[in-house]
Amino acid sequence: MAEAIQKKLQLELEKYQQMQKDVSKSMSARQKLEAQVTENNIVKEELDLLDTQNTVYKLIGPVLVKQDLEEAKATVAKRLEYINGEIQRYEMLLKDMEKKSEQHREVLSSLQQEYQRAQGRAVGKV
Amino acid sequence: MIVPLKLLNCSKNSFQKMISPCLGHITNVKGDYEVLEDRLKTLPDKVSYDIMVPFGPLAFMPGKLVHTNEITVLLGDNWFAKCSAKQAQMLVEHRKKHVQSALDDLHKTKKNFEARVGFTEDLEKLSDGKGGYVDIREELEGVVCKGKRRVSLKPHSKPKTEAIVKMEEEEEEEMLNAEGSKRGVLSEEELWARLDELEAQEQQEEELDRRFDSADTNGNDDTTSSSSEEEKDEEGDRPAERSKGGTTMPLNGSQVDRTALPPRDGGKEEQEDDEEDDGLPTIHFSHTVEPKKVRINTGKNTTLKFSEMKEQKQQAKRKKNNGTSNGHSHHGLHITSPTDIYRLFVDVKNGEPVPRKSILKSRSRENSVCSDTSESSAADFEERRTLGRSPSHDDNTYSDTGSAITEEDAPTGELPVPTSRFQAFSGTVVEKEPIPLSVPQLTIAPPALPTIPERKLEEVVPEAPQEAPQEAPKRVSKFKAARLQHKGP
Repeated sequence: MAEAIQKKLQLELEKYQQMQKDVSKSMSARQKLEAQVTENNIVKEELDLLDTQNTVYKLIGPVLVKQDLEEAKATVAKRLEYINGEIQRYEMLLKDMEKKSEQHREVLSSLQQEYQRAQGRAVGKV
Repeated sequence: MIVPLKLLNCSKNSFQKMISPCLGHITNVKGDYEVLEDRLKTLPDKVSYDIMVPFGPLAFMPGKLVHTNEITVLLGDNWFAKCSAKQAQMLVEHRKKHVQSALDDLHKTKKNFEARVGFTEDLEKLSDGKGGYVDIREELEGVVCKGKRRVSLKPHSKPKTEAIVKMEEEEEEEMLNAEGSKRGVLSEEELWARLDELEAQEQQEEELDRRFDSADTNGNDDTTSSSSEEEKDEEGDRPAERSKGGTTMPLNGSQVDRTALPPRDGGKEEQEDDEEDDGLPTIHFSHTVEPKKVRINTGKNTTLKFSEMKEQKQQAKRKKNNGTSNGHSHHGLHITSPTDIYRLFVDVKNGEPVPRKSILKSRSRENSVCSDTSESSAADFEERRTLGRSPSHDDNTYSDTGSAITEEDAPTGELPVPTSRFQAFSGTVVEKEPIPLSVPQLTIAPPALPTIPERKLEEVVPEAPQEAPQEAPKRVSKFKAARLQHKGP
């Protein structure tokens, strides 16, 4: 009886750890996105400071490709939107994950209690 | 308290680890930008510069720096822009702003953290008991309620027992006397028995008061109700009972009270720093017992505030003094609080000490129309009543402070009452308004300290010898009253 509970416990524990890893992954991805957002914001602002007389280049691989200032601005704006959308998505994901991990935690704790009780009983018996 | 220490160290270390590299990094970045700005300023000064160009990691080559005004700036995210030195400068300025804001945020978090650390350090000191911190504890023994007469038998037992238990602890620790130490070990059952006794007393007194109530306009109902409210409260009951006529506390109870009292009677005084279990010096503060303040509608859209405790204590005092009134200042009075000062300023009129309205005013003014404090005439009552309404706010302060005194004086068998001879107020005040009985009618015991007789309620305390209640059923304006007064005598 105690062994069965123990096995269950271990299974649950592994699941829970997996969940935690996923959560942390999403967290780090989200943090990256945050950094990109700030960067793109700065780029946007600096592009606004420049005028059309300056040539704007985009680095694609090893090549610097000339870009139109307006085009560059539009591109940067689009990128910003995209990144924000991604952030929203990740947030939703994180929430769900948190809930699931909570549930798992509860299951885990209840199993632990059972296990301890079983242990106690076993000791008593013996 | 080991835990907070650990927390403190952990949090300190972790935060330092986090914040110092960040701070360092950002300050470096800022420095770099400033250098860059300087360079940009000077660069376009010459058309070309002769420089040593780095050639790999180990060698340099002489060369020329041309196009000194054309600067390709990395805007971020793989975007570049070719601009002049001045424009580059503008961009650098813009970036520096961002860096500065980041730096400021970091500083803020650092301050917050430092504050937290400070708190935990304080907590540490507190737990050690050496840091000069003193715990001031105040045991709540009566629930201060405003409003109408309350139904008795409220379940106050729990908080009161806590207070009682605490008091017992204090007694144990203080070891006032052999008795005290013994009493300190009193079991709770004895306290409960005491409670029951008190309850029985309360009921008796209620009956008594009900009988008197028909005679008086204001009866003692409120005091009884208040005392009944405090049924479960030993400490609270004690003053109430003492003030009640005739009923004295049973001996054994009084003994308990005696020992229990001193810590409580400490009142505002600071008790010795008794070391509690957690090693912290403690000051046991107990508010002057002034649990009941009832608003009485005097019909003119004004309400008067009452403090029962004061009355009760005054009753008790009167009981003790039995008519000996020290008209003028009792110089044996030991002044420990501002209220004591007020007590000194007492006039004697008609053989009874009467509180002076203001210790700043001279005696002569008090005989004038506007500040007549004598109690002899009915007209005076009117004046005082109308006048008394104005300094109502003073009364509260008086009552609060006064009750401290009264609490100190609250007589048990043993405690000497230095001001006992002093009757500030005859205590017979007539309520002019036909106030319905539903409104709580408090009876005022003569205030222990000369408070302005704001309330014109008459109180007849059954046990205390008093002047004849001064009847003034009809309300008269103060000016009219003054006129009458001048006319009459």
